Amino acid sequence: MNATSQQQGQGQQQHPNIEGRHDDDAALSEFLASLMDYTPTIPDELVEHYLAKSGFQCPDVRLVRLVAVATQKFIADVATDALQQCKARQSAVIKDKREKQQKDKRLILTMEDLSRALHEVNIKIVLISDNIQKSSFQDDPIVMMK
Amino acid sequence: MSDGGGENVKEGENNLNHLHSKKSRSRADDFGLSIAKVAVAQICEAAGFQGFQRTALDTLSDVAVRHILEIGKTGNMFANLAGRSQSNVFDIIQGLEDLGSIQGFSGASDVDHCLLGSGTVREMVRYVGEAEEIPFAYSLPGFPVLKEREPGRTFEQTGGSPPAEHIPPWLPVFPDPETYVSLHKIDEKMAQIWEDEVGGPVEKRRELDKTFANLQQRMACNGTQPSVEVDFGNEAKEKGLVECNPFLTPPLQHGEKEVSLVLPPAKLSDEVFLQSANLEVPVSHISAMETFAPGIEAVKSGTFDFEDGRKKVPLNGRPNVRFKLGGGKRCLRVAISSQNQGIDKNSTWFRNDDGMDDKKRRVEQILKPSYESAGTDSLVN
Repeated sequence: MNATSQQQGQGQQQHPNIEGRHDDDAALSEFLASLMDYTPTIPDELVEHYLAKSGFQCPDVRLVRLVAVATQKFIADVATDALQQCKARQSAVIKDKREKQQKDKRLILTMEDLSRALHEVNIKIVLISDNIQKSSFQDDPIVMMK
Repeated sequence: MSDGGGENVKEGENNLNHLHSKKSRSRADDFGLSIAKVAVAQICEAAGFQGFQRTALDTLSDVAVRHILEIGKTGNMFANLAGRSQSNVFDIIQGLEDLGSIQGFSGASDVDHCLLGSGTVREMVRYVGEAEEIPFAYSLPGFPVLKEREPGRTFEQTGGSPPAEHIPPWLPVFPDPETYVSLHKIDEKMAQIWEDEVGGPVEKRRELDKTFANLQQRMACNGTQPSVEVDFGNEAKEKGLVECNPFLTPPLQHGEKEVSLVLPPAKLSDEVFLQSANLEVPVSHISAMETFAPGIEAVKSGTFDFEDGRKKVPLNGRPNVRFKLGGGKRCLRVAISSQNQGIDKNSTWFRNDDGMDDKKRRVEQILKPSYESAGTDSLVN
């Protein structure tokens, strides 16, 4: 689908845009090549396992790396959000008592901060029972009764 | 990396309980999840966190796994939409755009833009350029590990031909016949062990077999055919018939074990004793009398006499069981006497009823001498 639109684009549009596309093309190829140097934190085997589980078929290792990097970026974004929430709360507390500044130097990822950060990405955390927590992802809300 | 402390101690304890309960409920995906936890923890550490709540880490790793699954799903979907089974980079970029459309990326509103210049890709390029490389903490083998199973040897491979025509040769061979021992073998084995243990009653068993054969025919019990051994064939062979759980031993065939001889009820024995010398009791209305004849004789003589004239073997010490027919509501006269107890002692236990039948009194008179000689009797009404 996209290949044909690309061809049409190349046929209809003029030179500078074609060059632009070539640049994009080159950029992507470069990026994929650079992925082989960059080792994502999420290991390849794990990503391969879950991609196979979801039916994704591709023998190309670079695509596996691409998925790993995408997920890593996503998690990093969420973690950064949660960190900001944590810091904001700590700064609010410090205003009240000076003592707590000593104790709460350690930044801890809590469920509260995490749920707020995930809410930004439209992920809802629902408490099912005392033992189970389940997260719903995007347009897949799971309604659970406690 | 340490768990939450301070104000999070309570939650930490709860998390411990969660962990214990989670341990009991192990999912098939545990390995992948735990690896994801390690990776996510590394990412968070790089982001600036110094500690995690256990549930928070679990949730975030769960989210990461679901993210991977989502990309895979959408990538596959776009490939199938384009008529392909294998996905390529454009499918992934489209999937990423789908996922990223919530948070937004530059160029999301462009409907007809080339995927190569997608905002998501640009952001990723930027991320790769900026973020420091954090390799995973452990080295992983490829998983899941596929167990290599040896396919069963076929008839063709072993060179033999299948036993029957309807079985094609490419099917695996049948298991060893020893795994399903035949009836005959078990029978022999049990007889052997019986003989060893008890000593010599195998012939007695045969005698009893003869006597009770008629009874079987008369009763026409189809279900008592000696086919029970089949079910317990394997167990018997494997466990050894000598030492095994008594509740799991195969059932005994009739006559194998000495049981109390069932004597005919008083009403019938009446006629028998009147014609005591005659073994062939012409009691037509109860044709099973023949079978009880040896038993009745035993009561009289107190021993079991072999037809071939072997020495008399004393009764096995079990009290004979006598049934009494009819009789409305009489008192239960149970006299289980040990050996060498005379009838007199027994009679004191009984309630001397005036309502007793004459017949009964007569029977008792007749039976008195036999009681004394037998010595082991139990009267059950």
